Amino acid sequence: MSTPSVKPKAMIQDNTRCIGCRACMVACKSWNELPEDKTDFFAGEGYQNPRDLDANNYTLITFNEIVTGAKPDWVFGRQLCMHCDHPACASACPTTALNKTELGPVVFDAARCIGCRACMQACPFLIPKYDYENLAPKIHKCTFCADRIEGGLKPACATVCPTGAISFGDRDDMVAEAKRRIAEAPGTYIPQIYGLDEVGGTSVLHLSSVPFDQIGYITGLPKTPMPDLTHRWLRATAPVFAVLYAVFGALNWIVRRRMRRQGHNGEHT
Amino acid sequence: MNWRIRLTWWDKLLLAVVAVGAVIGLVRFATGIGTIANINNAYPWGWWVGYGIMTMIAIGGVGFTMTALVEIFGVHRYHSFLRPAVLMGLLCYTSAITMLMVELGRPWMVWMVLVSWAPTSALYEVGWCAFLYLTVLALEFAQVPFERLGWAKALCVIRFIYIPIMLLGVTLSHLHQSSLGTLMTLIPHKVNALWWSDNLPLLYLFSAMMAGPAMAILEHLAAARWLGFTPRMDLLAGLARIELWLVGLFLAFQMGDLFYRGAADAMLSPSWFAVSFWVEIGFGLVLPLALLLMPEVRQTRRGLAVACSLVIAGVLLHRLNVAVIGLRVRHWESYVPSFGEIGITLGITAAAVFAFGWLARILPIHEELPPPETSLRTETQPAVSLRGAQGIF
Repeated sequence: MSTPSVKPKAMIQDNTRCIGCRACMVACKSWNELPEDKTDFFAGEGYQNPRDLDANNYTLITFNEIVTGAKPDWVFGRQLCMHCDHPACASACPTTALNKTELGPVVFDAARCIGCRACMQACPFLIPKYDYENLAPKIHKCTFCADRIEGGLKPACATVCPTGAISFGDRDDMVAEAKRRIAEAPGTYIPQIYGLDEVGGTSVLHLSSVPFDQIGYITGLPKTPMPDLTHRWLRATAPVFAVLYAVFGALNWIVRRRMRRQGHNGEHT
Repeated sequence: MNWRIRLTWWDKLLLAVVAVGAVIGLVRFATGIGTIANINNAYPWGWWVGYGIMTMIAIGGVGFTMTALVEIFGVHRYHSFLRPAVLMGLLCYTSAITMLMVELGRPWMVWMVLVSWAPTSALYEVGWCAFLYLTVLALEFAQVPFERLGWAKALCVIRFIYIPIMLLGVTLSHLHQSSLGTLMTLIPHKVNALWWSDNLPLLYLFSAMMAGPAMAILEHLAAARWLGFTPRMDLLAGLARIELWLVGLFLAFQMGDLFYRGAADAMLSPSWFAVSFWVEIGFGLVLPLALLLMPEVRQTRRGLAVACSLVIAGVLLHRLNVAVIGLRVRHWESYVPSFGEIGITLGITAAAVFAFGWLARILPIHEELPPPETSLRTETQPAVSLRGAQGIF
């Protein structure tokens, strides 16, 4: 096996190739040693199961009934952490328990977590989940199999997909590949790569045959990094602190000097 | 000195609410957040953050607002409002920290904030500022018990550092009051357009300032009512004029921001969001503004009590609208706080109110006020009068 490249990685989730077998979900549970769930076959949208991502499910194939042409059809989508290039979750974390690594994964360090859930609130894709019933709860989300990637392996889900709907490699190559697929089969794909520049770019790139909002994706997100929204205020913290302290100090000095001159002796009326 | 007071019916009622809150708190720590709370994977914050932290910190802004008015802008005639204001600030911040300990999943790890470097996180700034400001409030207020206990040396030390820490407190308050708004600027996709704004940090800061004189007036009226002082109606009328300006300017700023953002048409949309918005604006800003414009309201206890209560309720509703009511996550049913969530916050709030009533009866907090009309306050004369010629606190 070749030595692992340090170039950032990415994954293509090609929903046009997905047959909804959910092998990726099983592989994910297996590698991450997540407990099984007792589920109801018709709990979610049709065969979709479970209904949403949760503390025991880091990825989910969504079943969407779309009318294409004359008849309704399943169109699959997939939920997993997008591993943003500028992750809102990591920017919101007050203890740097979430970090974007060089290879691409946004990883969680439970040893630093205080359980404030700011990451859950911040994530534009609604990915981080919590085990509220636990007495020492943790944030749960797709790890991009950071441990496997560091060892030069593909994420678990990418190794098991029987139809090639999940591809993994250097991000540059994956972007080129996604563009090539759209260019070669314009009838199959809509001309959009979800994740190419959503919230400043992500490490997971989704392709689809129908508009993404029809298969449950969150659309209308800005093309700029989410942390920019808070950064424009927070970067002013130190200068604002200095200026305010100086101004207040000066005003207080003037007030006290005036009081001394008036022979004010602390009697207030 | 005597720390004991005779409990009134009000005290007993408050303690009963505290007991209920404490029992629910025990269940939360014994069985986890999930047992008692409706917060979930889509709505991770809810009532605890919207009321227990954001509203508490906002009304705790009375501490820095009154301190700035008296010590920095030199309006010394309101000096007698300072001690109650600092005590209210101290208790509100203590309540918020207590709430945080209940709300955090891993409260025993909270010190991690203080050993981290996370300048991109608004919560990091809030955490540091609130921690430092709570220390400042405790030091400022410590003068009062020290005075009562006659600890002259400790008092000297605190009076020596008073000016720099007082300035630090006012500065830190500006930073973290606004940073609580910065927290919410990160989620434009969740907060309804009626409330999400780039200017949320300023809206949070200004509304906290607006809560300041209103809380000070309400406290003064409550002290007059239950501790039997003669209220200084001349001073209250003056504070009410300041409040009038703060409410008017905040209303102008909030509406201006809404129109500037181009979100004004959302006010007319037939939705519960719009209803909640109009309640906030109508009862929290326009009505108190109209009331405070009337001299007869500014000069009567009842008028002031109604107008200022409306302002505080408006600030509460603003925080709830931003963080709970106006916050919706796609594909998820909306969130409604559970009895357990509300019960714990009521317990914490009742504890703060009880603590204020208790301390107000055993410590010289209102000693600059005119003598009691009818004395409920008995053993409160300081053992040694240490209030010297310093023009501070």
